[in-house]
Amino acid sequence: MPGRPRREVTVDRSLCRRCQDNEPTITIRTEPLCATCFAKYVSTKAVKRMESFRVRHAEAGSERILLLPLSLGACSTTLIHVLSQHLAGQSERTGRTGFKLHILHVDGTEPAQSSSSLNKVRECYPQHSYSSLPLADALSLEGIHELLNLTESQENTAEALSIAVANLNSATSRDDILQLLQRKLVVDFAKRHNCEAILWGDSTTKLAERTLAETAKGRGFNLPWTVSDGESPHGIPFYFPMRDLLSKEIVAFTTMTEPPLADLVVQREQKRMVSTKNTTIDELMKQYFESVEQEYPGIVANVVKTTSTGKEQTLLWLYSSLTTNSRMRETGLRLGRDLLKTLLYSRCALSATHLHAIVYRAYSEGAEEDQACWHWEERELQQS
Amino acid sequence: MPPHICEICRTARAQILRPKNHARICAACFIDIFESETAETITSTSLFQPGERVAIGASGGKDSTVLASVLKTLNDRHGWGLDLVLLSIDEGITGYRDHSLEAVKRNSAELGLPLKIVSYEELYGWSMDQVVAQVGKKGNCTYCGVFRRQALDRGAAMLGVGHVVTGHNADDVAETVLMNLLRGDLPRLSRATSIVTSTPSAARGPEGSFTNVKRSKPLMYAYEKEIVLYAHHKKLDYFSTECIYSPEAFRGSARTLIKNLERIRPESILDVVRSGIDMAKLVPDAAGNCKSGCADKKRKQEAQAEQEEGEGGCGSGNGQDAGGEMAEMERKLWQDEKAEEDGMEVEIKMPMKAVNGQNHDRDIAASGPPTSALITPTSDQDHDRHTHLSIPDLETKQTTVPIRTKAEKKQGRKMGKDGIARPAQTLGQCERCGYLSSQAVCKACVLLEGLNKSRPRTGVEVGGGDG
Repeated sequence: MPGRPRREVTVDRSLCRRCQDNEPTITIRTEPLCATCFAKYVSTKAVKRMESFRVRHAEAGSERILLLPLSLGACSTTLIHVLSQHLAGQSERTGRTGFKLHILHVDGTEPAQSSSSLNKVRECYPQHSYSSLPLADALSLEGIHELLNLTESQENTAEALSIAVANLNSATSRDDILQLLQRKLVVDFAKRHNCEAILWGDSTTKLAERTLAETAKGRGFNLPWTVSDGESPHGIPFYFPMRDLLSKEIVAFTTMTEPPLADLVVQREQKRMVSTKNTTIDELMKQYFESVEQEYPGIVANVVKTTSTGKEQTLLWLYSSLTTNSRMRETGLRLGRDLLKTLLYSRCALSATHLHAIVYRAYSEGAEEDQACWHWEERELQQS
Repeated sequence: MPPHICEICRTARAQILRPKNHARICAACFIDIFESETAETITSTSLFQPGERVAIGASGGKDSTVLASVLKTLNDRHGWGLDLVLLSIDEGITGYRDHSLEAVKRNSAELGLPLKIVSYEELYGWSMDQVVAQVGKKGNCTYCGVFRRQALDRGAAMLGVGHVVTGHNADDVAETVLMNLLRGDLPRLSRATSIVTSTPSAARGPEGSFTNVKRSKPLMYAYEKEIVLYAHHKKLDYFSTECIYSPEAFRGSARTLIKNLERIRPESILDVVRSGIDMAKLVPDAAGNCKSGCADKKRKQEAQAEQEEGEGGCGSGNGQDAGGEMAEMERKLWQDEKAEEDGMEVEIKMPMKAVNGQNHDRDIAASGPPTSALITPTSDQDHDRHTHLSIPDLETKQTTVPIRTKAEKKQGRKMGKDGIARPAQTLGQCERCGYLSSQAVCKACVLLEGLNKSRPRTGVEVGGGDG
């Protein structure tokens, strides 16, 4: 309030900025924090994003199950750790929890030690249920055979998958299709197991990387739906509880817990950029934000904040363009045929929101798969 | 290994690996396809009216030289009946602009297109060399940028032209898209991706023959590399030195990223442009969503645009400052977050710029590399346009010294400080020069005031001195 002088608090810069009791161990943005306050910081940031899953929202008798895909990287492992503590706190205070976690690990491209690592996580946090699926299972999902040009008779083995992926003409496309398959597999699993939502471990940095990578892949239209919490185009809500934490903060956190989480994390080899030709767009963005994150963390967060808004606008725009733009109609027809049929035949029976969601799915699934395998034709690119 | 045969004509030997899609084609086919793609862009967006008089913003650099050449060729080939003229701005930078203007003159003669040169000296009474002598090498790009945007419009007005085309290419647009994503500035992103930048005066209705000047970028889907190739194979004469006042060209994050992306997947550049166009549609009240029927909002948006575009100069200009600007933005974001956490508003004290008493909140929003960074260093374009003085008016005004009254200054400062409760911006006219502005006094006049203040007023001071 103007006019009223605030009492000056003298801050000892040599001690933790928050508690002023301990020696600081890490500097977060501009604040030196001690290990305890830093742990509080990490957990508050993540838990704040879980507000819609509080105990008071949980109906007695019916447990809400949330799926947590675990890549065994620093982010998703930290998310399990933080949420486990959060759930323990809930049951201590109220005798029950707001939700239950189901952990899913997709076994695909990770190094071999991942299965032993997964067992270690299971031992540390035994209160959750665990599943593990090979990535090749994604081949049995609807539409994937057509997408990858596989014949009916081909078996859904890891070998078939690696052959199909190897046929794609660039490292970026290969990376892209693996991500797409993984996401489809996770979504399918979540739906089959009646999960209410999916909790992804992505940090601010990761989301910013994705924002720019998706932009570079020509999917800017999809951004508000890719990086924001809530309804997703995949028919199940997505949440990113770690969205307010930087990758470097999370990595630091994994070394400071007791016992250190870092022991559970599977270290991925950092591929150094030898030649740009064989890097992927995602790797390029990863390296880019690694450097930006060091000096300008606020800018990383700002990228995500900017693109997280505008879901409504996307739908309105898609709705109007689907009725006017032939290219979109084609894409929609090619890959979202059934969805589009539902739309056309039952237009009057559906509510506006529902209608929009269907239109959106038809288009986004169509366009995304379209691009992952066959890059847009020149003509289409140049003109809309 | 047998030589590759052109993928298009199947007869000639392929000389060119096309940057856009790695097709191997011969030079003749390349020139042909480059021209027909540009024609496609122009016809599919109905860029020109038959018989329209169009000014080509010519800097003597590769982009505008290729643009002039392609437009001339297509106009003759397809009988569009366009009346093409070259319009150059002379900033008055010795060792740079004088040389590039020579290239423009040679092009003008070669293509048989008339050329009009408008100089800062004549419009404002200050050449850039003089401005630099006054304000130093740092920050002079702001002056250059603000002056240029008015100069192009006024030049068009002098020529009686309603449409100025500029040489922005796909790389420029893609770079702006990434830059504005990093900066979190979607409205500006949306403007950068539209092929025709909207015209405030057109929205206000015709008020005179000179007021309806629109800007467009017919090469916005053309790769920079292909423009260079086209210039090379057509043996075009262009000037390729960067502005001497910005020796370290702006090689900021966005530019490096775009170049790396192009190496990974050449289509990326157009993909980024595509994404930008789509994202622009997500901006509420932006061009894509609200093209017609809401003139008020539109005018407000234009007013913003007018503010934004004025910042910064010719992109390369802020080379040394680029890091500083990122740091500045970082600091601002950090403050915002803190304020939010503490649950209170903090008054953000802006560095008061001596010449710029108004519009402080805007300054922040536009910090970071300026929009016009998408302009390659040698090109003369800026994006938008506004109303003009009629010519006689202009002539009487050009060297007058604008001095603001105390009341004006007070008002200006006040508007700057209470950034929160400011009335919505609306476009009016600058009370000094009549140029379209959302402020009482337009940006150029404010800058001029600062400059003129420190210039000795010869008439008074020499004669002065009584007993």
